[in-house]
Amino acid sequence: MNQNFLKFVHAMVGEENATDDRAICASYSRDQHWHFVPARNPAYVVRPANKEEVKKVLMLANEEKIPVIPYSTGINVRGLTIPVHEGSILLDLSRMNRILEINPAMKTATVEPGVTFGMLLEKTKEYKLRPAFPDAPLTVSVLVNYYLRGIYQTAAADGHDHTLSYEMVLPNGEIIKTGSRSLSEMPYFRYGVGPDFTGVFCAHPGTCGVVTELTAKLYRLYDNKKVYFIGFDDVSASTKFIYNLMHDELAASIRLVDNQSWLKGICGTFDYRYEELPKFVLCMLVEGVDGIFEAKDKLVVEYIKESRGKVLEFPEEFKRTFEEESLGGAEKSCMVFGLRGNYHCIGFYGPLTLAARYYELHEATALEVGIPEDHVHFYLDPIYNFHGQLCYVELDIFYDGSDLEFGEKLRNYNEIQFQRLLDLGIYGWFRPYAGIIQPTVERIGYLAEVWKKFLKVLDPNEIMNRGKLF
Amino acid sequence: MKLEREEILSAIYHCVKCKLCSISSFHPTEEWLPLCPSGRFYGYQAFYAPGRLEIFREILEGELSEPTEGLLNAVYACTLCGACYEKCKQITSVEIRLPELFEELRGVLVNKGWFLDTHRKIAEKIKETRNAYGEKDKYKYEYEAKSLYGTDVLYYIGCTARYRVPEIADSMLQIFDKLGIKYQVMEDEWCCGSVLLRTGQVEDAKVLMEHNIEEIKRSGAKTVVFTCPGCLKTFEKDYPDMAVELVHSTQLLTRLGNMKVKRLGMEVAYHDPCHLGRDLGIYEEPRAVLKEVADVKAMKREREQAWCCGSGGGVKSAYGEFALWSAGERIKEAKGAGVEAIVSACPFCKRNLREAAENEGMKVYDVVELVNRSLEG
Repeated sequence: MNQNFLKFVHAMVGEENATDDRAICASYSRDQHWHFVPARNPAYVVRPANKEEVKKVLMLANEEKIPVIPYSTGINVRGLTIPVHEGSILLDLSRMNRILEINPAMKTATVEPGVTFGMLLEKTKEYKLRPAFPDAPLTVSVLVNYYLRGIYQTAAADGHDHTLSYEMVLPNGEIIKTGSRSLSEMPYFRYGVGPDFTGVFCAHPGTCGVVTELTAKLYRLYDNKKVYFIGFDDVSASTKFIYNLMHDELAASIRLVDNQSWLKGICGTFDYRYEELPKFVLCMLVEGVDGIFEAKDKLVVEYIKESRGKVLEFPEEFKRTFEEESLGGAEKSCMVFGLRGNYHCIGFYGPLTLAARYYELHEATALEVGIPEDHVHFYLDPIYNFHGQLCYVELDIFYDGSDLEFGEKLRNYNEIQFQRLLDLGIYGWFRPYAGIIQPTVERIGYLAEVWKKFLKVLDPNEIMNRGKLF
Repeated sequence: MKLEREEILSAIYHCVKCKLCSISSFHPTEEWLPLCPSGRFYGYQAFYAPGRLEIFREILEGELSEPTEGLLNAVYACTLCGACYEKCKQITSVEIRLPELFEELRGVLVNKGWFLDTHRKIAEKIKETRNAYGEKDKYKYEYEAKSLYGTDVLYYIGCTARYRVPEIADSMLQIFDKLGIKYQVMEDEWCCGSVLLRTGQVEDAKVLMEHNIEEIKRSGAKTVVFTCPGCLKTFEKDYPDMAVELVHSTQLLTRLGNMKVKRLGMEVAYHDPCHLGRDLGIYEEPRAVLKEVADVKAMKREREQAWCCGSGGGVKSAYGEFALWSAGERIKEAKGAGVEAIVSACPFCKRNLREAAENEGMKVYDVVELVNRSLEG
């Protein structure tokens, strides 16, 4: 390692913002995905304050061929910020936490990587606007979650794509601006010139460059809201009802969860007779302006009757929590971490038509590798505008994180289940997290070669989060 | 180690790094309010609870074998305020007792000889003078003269109220006098050992504890009153059961009921001391007493989610700038509540808040000072 490297970086970002201290580096060595991605320390942690500093650090790392791992808040990243190689730089972007613009007229926000969902809502609510929330703690980074393409099922009505444009620093120091941002000072349109470059770079786990600012869509907050909880005995019994709601675009939030895991988080308490409820509960929120809200609600009530689901009378507090978690960011629902101490899931996209089979497969594979039935959980969220009957599906297992033998079972589960899901048919994975890329790449033909060449052009020295994709 | 290695690792393996422990409950106010002073001040992951747990893991697993500057700072620049623990517990109900773990971590470091010079010097001062400030003169109060050996109530003054914020001890003694409560103070009060225990110097605390236990037994007191929550917590949690009642001044005053106080016409905010609130669960009594004498306005972060004043856990002595910054943040919050004074129930809080408030036009009191002022003499 170049001994002068840290001196140069200190000159760039200030002495207090870059370190090779072994203990400070150790604090970045693991995330919640440690059963799949073993702990490894970065060699340096660097905390730039702005894009000029990012650029200088990247250019130096590129020259020295030192791997760089971009990191914002380090939450919900499933091992993607844990170094693969010795001697890596962890680029902690949490100091870059400015909300650069909230434009209520355009319904957009432009943020730096250190801005969290909580920070953003605090400001947007003044305009009766909100970001699309992922079902991740509201301590996660807005920019990284959108760029990495999270899941936004808390309000299905928001759809799936919230990123309009962004600015990214490449390893050679060049800066790429995507969408309308490349043409003007108006970063509000995704498709600027030619291909959808905003999309092309998205969902790369820090393997292209460092995104330093991003413009995203904001959504309206309504005064009229109503919450329903409908019980079903199995997944298939609920699908017709979900289809109707989605087809007619009636509910803002639609989440099918099992009664022993996410429902507790959605309701905000462990203390209720959940075991007496039907096994699956559809949690639903209807909203809208005067007139439209009432019309939607009337249709929803008709579909509920037709569904033969059981309308559950929950305390008002549960409804309020569900509203808050859906339209204000996940906080209480993170209590699912407390079910057994850790949480594993395979998250992916697929059609509603396969929902029941996904669940069956989940149960079967879990039992096969020795995971007890009461550890097996599920949720499904349909996504507007529902083309392809698009749903986000999560096959969940809640377990004791300190049980290392259970970790082995989970690894077995993953290995088998990735293949089985690919065989059954899915639209895509939630994120390129540990273990997914290899079985997937084998199936995507020449696209994989193109992808690798594309990355080679952007990052010829392969410094950007090296080893996380290929 | 007080905790078993496996128990510690199990706790570490239960943290899922959601970092919700670093902010106060969001939905009630929809405001982004930090909770972790050290994380907020220093920024690196190492200064937040999830990162500090990883450091502990690496130490237990033998991967960290040198006392680097970063290690010492990450471990000791934490006030052990426990806000992270309360928030985690509230959401997940997973019992990762973070302040206890971080205290244990300090114990592990001290056993390796890895500790701060400042903390070592405090231990030396205590050894020499039996108080944490190295004061050689025995501090005498006007009202201390009225101490009656053998009475049921013993007031344990504590180092900080004796030597740094004597107005608190003075007020408490005057309150006893005004209320006609017979009391005694210890003839030879030694430091309770809190600062040593909080900084991992567990062995050095034992001799202090033995002395104080003997003195209290000898006094014949049935109730020991504390104005310092740090001392009270130490007696409650670290001392063996002495078969005496241990109460905070605000608990005693609440119990007394109608004290014939006059209202002071002040608008104040109450600052929950970490040791009193999060450690001992005493939230109501200080508020109840304070409401008798002043109009109490709420701050944004209160009770389990109160922002720490920044002085505990050995931080004030070793990381002065950080300690003062934390207190400054609290003063700003009090200002935001539109009050003229911030009132605590802890000499250590008062001392640090007062320093931070010096040029801010904010007055700082302890509850007993206001009660004393409002009691007719």
